[in-house]
Amino acid sequence: MNYLAVLLDAKRLADIQGTALEKKVTDMFGGAIKALIMEMPEEQTKKVLSAFPAARLDARFFLEEVPIAVKRAIFEEIKRAKSIEPKVIDAVMARADQLKEAVKKESEYLPVPEID
Amino acid sequence: MELKMTLPLPHGGRLVDRVVTNPRAGKKMAASADAVYDIKPTLYNGMPVRNVYREIMSICYGFFSPCEGSMTKAELERILKERRLLSNWVFPYPMLFDISEEDLKKLKVQEGDRLLLRLKGQPFAVLDIEEIYQIDPKDLATRTFGTPQANPEVVKVAFDNKHPGYNIYSSYNRCVLAGKYTIVNEPKMRSPFDRFWYPPAKARAEFQRRGWNTVIAHQTRNVPHVGHEALMRNAAYIGDIKPCDGIIVNAIVGAKRIGDYPDETIVEAHEMVNIAGYVKPSRHLVTILLWDMRYGNPLESLLHAVARQNMGVSFHMWGRDHAALGPYYDTYAAQILWENGVPSFGFDKPPYAVDYGLLMRPQNMAEFWYCPKCTEVTYSENCNHDKERQRFSGSFIRSLLAEGVFPPAVIMRPEVYKTVVKWWKILGYPFNNKKYLAERENELEIDLADMKL
Repeated sequence: MNYLAVLLDAKRLADIQGTALEKKVTDMFGGAIKALIMEMPEEQTKKVLSAFPAARLDARFFLEEVPIAVKRAIFEEIKRAKSIEPKVIDAVMARADQLKEAVKKESEYLPVPEID
Repeated sequence: MELKMTLPLPHGGRLVDRVVTNPRAGKKMAASADAVYDIKPTLYNGMPVRNVYREIMSICYGFFSPCEGSMTKAELERILKERRLLSNWVFPYPMLFDISEEDLKKLKVQEGDRLLLRLKGQPFAVLDIEEIYQIDPKDLATRTFGTPQANPEVVKVAFDNKHPGYNIYSSYNRCVLAGKYTIVNEPKMRSPFDRFWYPPAKARAEFQRRGWNTVIAHQTRNVPHVGHEALMRNAAYIGDIKPCDGIIVNAIVGAKRIGDYPDETIVEAHEMVNIAGYVKPSRHLVTILLWDMRYGNPLESLLHAVARQNMGVSFHMWGRDHAALGPYYDTYAAQILWENGVPSFGFDKPPYAVDYGLLMRPQNMAEFWYCPKCTEVTYSENCNHDKERQRFSGSFIRSLLAEGVFPPAVIMRPEVYKTVVKWWKILGYPFNNKKYLAERENELEIDLADMKL
């Protein structure tokens, strides 16, 4: 089994507050990072890797470097389905062609974070 | 019994120095050439994946001592069969000056001729041609990295065009000009690489100035996370009668993959580890090696050992998946080589135990991970909290950065992250993309003075 971590910042945490998803939030690095960890069957992993070649499976068997537009779409589908089951990924992959356009732009520009 | 150590001798006994620093002498040498050739990058699918100028720099400044130039056919065969130069010294990779048949016809050079190599429109180096021969690039690529049949100890999957190192060798031109290189126009390293440029003679002088007798090297092609820092600090407890005097980070600067960090970010992020005081600047030195990574795991470790021994390094940390990519080599191939040897690559014993081998003591390290129960970064052979542990992952951290998440301090030092953001602003992107790689290929890492012949 492979995995995919959907990171949760304050806004995303607020979005899932009060839903069943709240109980599925996982602490990473001693609670420094909060995430929803999705299980990714082999077949689905292959589909994502093939549609978005920048993504890679790391040594922890986590699917990483998934384009931001795809990660955003995954969270939207999670929120809609209130679930982290594999059907969420199916819903995202149904939009793959549309997402590829956004991903193309992403390879040229990513907004610089505002930090002190 | 003598326990105290001194800096090791260069590989091969003496440092190669093939850089003419007197401009008049360099000009005279350049003017004596029989033909002129403008160095071109090696392209794969239209993208630059190698520039031979980096090999010329690393050879002439002594990083690859005792190698002095582009290899003859006999030397190439010996490298591919036994990983030895004709002088018997251990050496892992072919070093070749390849040109197309069309260019060879145009140049009309023959053995005994001197070829002037221009870079960025300026005279750069000369190649004194000893031999001209042909290669089959695909065969070269396959034999360079090995096969599961011929090298079953470490090669698990046959190399193919998903491996960037394989793509480099398989994209070589078919004609090879063999002979010694001499740099005739002393280059000026561009900023920010200039302050990390420590060719072997300068590195040794710097180690002596700092009073370092024992130095350990950390290989990198990455921005450091806290796990890397723990690896560096802990590996450096090896030494003679005390831990190593110095830790050098030797960053590989050259053509890289899309999605990796830019070289500028890598070197300054490592430097920030000492500027911000996580390792004292007096004990930590960031340096560079010009080389287009081949991702050859055990073979790459040999090249790293050659370059770093020449710099004066006695110890080298080898981790899991050293300079590796994909499933081709065993995850622990570099450690296998340095623990037992790999007979099919010419090592029935580890590289430090064979004749004409390396004077390099390996420090084979397991893993560092973050343990919330220990509340610290711990060594995998110490911490027994398998359920709680969290492994560091470079890909995970790149994902965090791309999403604009300020990484927590248990993963990446805030000062290091700010360095990433600094270069993100300058270059317009946090990672290598097509635009960055094309611009880098135009600018390269050096500038050359105008030399009118």
